Amino acid sequence: MLGEKRLKEISKQVLGFSKAQETEVLLFVTDRCLTRFANSQIHQNVASEDLGISIRVVTRKKIGVASGNSFEESALKDVVKRAEALARLQKEDPHFISLPTPQPLPKIKSKTLQATPEERASQVWTIIKKSKEKGIVASGAYDSSITEIAVANSHGVWAYHAGGASDLSTILIGPESTGFGSSLAKDPKEIEKETERVVESAIEKVIRGEKPQTIEPGEYEVILEPQAVNEMMSFLAWLGPNARLYHEQASNFSSKLGEDVLGENITIIDDPLNEEGFPMPFDFEGHPKRKLEIIKNGKLLNLTYDSYHAGKHKTENTGHALPAPNTFGPIPLHLRFEPGKKSLEEMIKGVKKGLLVTRLWYVRYLNPRSLSITGMTRDGTFLIKNGEIVAGLKNLRFNQSIPDALKNVVEVGRDLTPLASFETELGTNRMPALHIAGWNFTSTTEF
Amino acid sequence: MKKQAQEIIEKIPGEVYADVRIIENETQSIATKDGIVEALESSTTKGFGIRVLKDGAWGFAGSNDFSKNGIDRTTKRALKIAESSSRHITEKVELAPQKPTVDSYKIRVQEDPFEIPLEEKLELLLAADKAQRVDPKIVISQTSFYARREKKVFASTEGSLIGQEIIWCGAGIEASAAEGQEFQNRSYPNSHGGQFATRGYELIRELDLAGNAPRIGEEAVALLSAPLCPSGEYDLILDSNQLALQVHESCGHPTELDRALGYEASYAGTSFMTPDKLGKLKYGSEIVNMTADATLPGGLGTFGYDDEGIPAQRTYLIKDGVFVDYLTSRETIRELKCQVPSYKKGSNGTMRASSWSHIPLIRMTNVNLESGKSGKLGDLIADTKRGIFMSTNKSWSIDDRRLNFQFGTEIAWEIKNGKLGRILKNPTYQGITPEFWNSCDAICGPSEWIIWGTPNCGKGQPSQVINTGHGASPARFRKVKVGVIKKW
Repeated sequence: MLGEKRLKEISKQVLGFSKAQETEVLLFVTDRCLTRFANSQIHQNVASEDLGISIRVVTRKKIGVASGNSFEESALKDVVKRAEALARLQKEDPHFISLPTPQPLPKIKSKTLQATPEERASQVWTIIKKSKEKGIVASGAYDSSITEIAVANSHGVWAYHAGGASDLSTILIGPESTGFGSSLAKDPKEIEKETERVVESAIEKVIRGEKPQTIEPGEYEVILEPQAVNEMMSFLAWLGPNARLYHEQASNFSSKLGEDVLGENITIIDDPLNEEGFPMPFDFEGHPKRKLEIIKNGKLLNLTYDSYHAGKHKTENTGHALPAPNTFGPIPLHLRFEPGKKSLEEMIKGVKKGLLVTRLWYVRYLNPRSLSITGMTRDGTFLIKNGEIVAGLKNLRFNQSIPDALKNVVEVGRDLTPLASFETELGTNRMPALHIAGWNFTSTTEF
Repeated sequence: MKKQAQEIIEKIPGEVYADVRIIENETQSIATKDGIVEALESSTTKGFGIRVLKDGAWGFAGSNDFSKNGIDRTTKRALKIAESSSRHITEKVELAPQKPTVDSYKIRVQEDPFEIPLEEKLELLLAADKAQRVDPKIVISQTSFYARREKKVFASTEGSLIGQEIIWCGAGIEASAAEGQEFQNRSYPNSHGGQFATRGYELIRELDLAGNAPRIGEEAVALLSAPLCPSGEYDLILDSNQLALQVHESCGHPTELDRALGYEASYAGTSFMTPDKLGKLKYGSEIVNMTADATLPGGLGTFGYDDEGIPAQRTYLIKDGVFVDYLTSRETIRELKCQVPSYKKGSNGTMRASSWSHIPLIRMTNVNLESGKSGKLGDLIADTKRGIFMSTNKSWSIDDRRLNFQFGTEIAWEIKNGKLGRILKNPTYQGITPEFWNSCDAICGPSEWIIWGTPNCGKGQPSQVINTGHGASPARFRKVKVGVIKKW
């Protein structure tokens, strides 16, 4: 870690080198360690440290971006020079108004704790040992990283944040079934406390999934566990409230601001400052983040904006910028549902005939405009009858519209699970289990 | 860089295997949208990664810090991680023997993309952006360009010292049309950013983006009012740009030996092509031949040496329809020989890392469907009574053992009595890998064979994205389930 003081000095130095009308400096410092295991032994153990600097310069609405990974003075000068050279040759962007101006930033607590190789190996060994006792093969990964992010610009913006994330996950493999378990925490000590639960829940899925049956594809009532909900919601985050796609008429929500777009029992909030998750006080332009209700009781209340799209559409910047140049649009990275009242076990009891889905896999959109996705189930798909899990099932392919599913939610789960939204240093969603009245399965596979 | 690499290797204790890669990367990317250059970026990175094998266990550390302190710290970190791993292993890693190599390799291009004036690139892209707007229903016009130069040195404690310089380059266009709730895209020459190759700016000129833009715009508009692709079993002809991804997903990934041995179980999954099926599985019909060829000029997965210092090679994966080989590495090949004692080959050189900060994994090189004997695409269509011709990938998904797949393409045409008919929107097809490839009854000839670049292949933890290539000619598959999505 370099710390706020050193990163501020570097930013000042860079801003001093620039002759552009407006200049933005984005700095990253990362240290990432990962221990990976398969076939019940550690087969990969890696660590890497890196720096990143990205400069955006703007002169007469001409924008250039250059980046590098050295903070040496000559390298910093070179990055500025390259960004300025690009901007000179650039065409004017009439929609560009201004880089953000300074705003008070919310105060949040940050933890920068990282698991040591020994700590990682020890938790992994617990999983391997427990699985072996049941004759189950263990695979998985323990990822532990620290990231510092700083943003400065020539209007006086200064924003600094440091955070750590540790993420342990396992896929356990039985003769005919697999099971998944995971834990994401700011403190490796929390992971240590959770390891037994992670492995035991995955073992339970393997055992429950033994001798999997094939079920005829069709529309079934489902309970999606939080991991599966998160995999679905990453597509809604990208293709739903994103102001760029909304105004291009490319979003399913286009022209529907203020209208009912999902079921009445669905409230979705971007909650970047909540200490229960992985708080992030500002976006990648240094603009403050805040709690934003995107869907309130099914109604589309707010879109997500960065400075460019807020300027273009003459509205408020909601603090959802990604690093420049961003061709994806402004995306929420800290989504959560307003939770319901029932635990997963209670939700299962409410299903007469349906499927319990642990994870979705290889999810891709079929049609971004209708927010339809396809994918497979993975690592624990079960048949529920009369409120009880009665059998493991072979995996199925689904083709499903996300808005249709979220108009059809019977019950939102009580417990929110923190799960990485894209990459851990970018954001973390908190997802519940969802009981959905109809989910379209179109084919099966052989396992 | 070579001297630096050797100096790092000299810090490694005698009994330890180690290799180091020093990599310098330079990229330039441009994206236009609706006549505005919305991304113009130049990036450079430099760093090194040290991989050590100590007491039968791996350790790896990477850093951008080339100071004496940075190199010492990173070397010690790699050794410490290996020591930590070694306390928790049940089997020691061993590498298949390899003779040391001292060599240099460079991709030769006609026009260095970094030397072409930026104004010229912007002019070409903005002309192609504008030329897509053939109708008011075109709501978004986009273009993109990407170039990357990588200078890499590999050195190992076994005495290898290899320098490589590779240039990757690519571009494409995409038009989006909308009317009411209908929204359709068309891309050229391929989706997901266009065409990519280990070639220079000559590739971009050859693509003639502006010349093809009006047709792409017209097709996007035509799709708005086109009928939905019908549901049912049809004879399916796939264009080579779609087949490239079909090969990637259903042959390339399942023949990665690390997957087949279970080492990717925690993320990307495993493979139905397990070692007990090697030499026995009838993967496809007799006309199906697939190769992994890292030596193909221009292929996006072309290089001189892999990241273990093994020379680039051409290997049959599927021969006359039978599964005959894997993509391999020095470590996995030893394990394969234990399970299949008749297997006698060494590594076929497919270990690559996406950057200095990642360890090398088994990655596809250029995995190709070899051309067949069915002439040109027109001949194949003429030979098809009732079918569907699909082009340009739109969606792709496959299960974690690479059996159940579903693809969607941007556009399709119906085939009636040997002739292309109406445009069909939202085409999809679905199948199980060996059933699908066994239904292949015709592959077009060499004149239709194109090596497509796939620049977004993801694998591993931490995730690594790498360049792969896939050569293919259009091919026909009998009685495929198409139009599997009824509700859009």
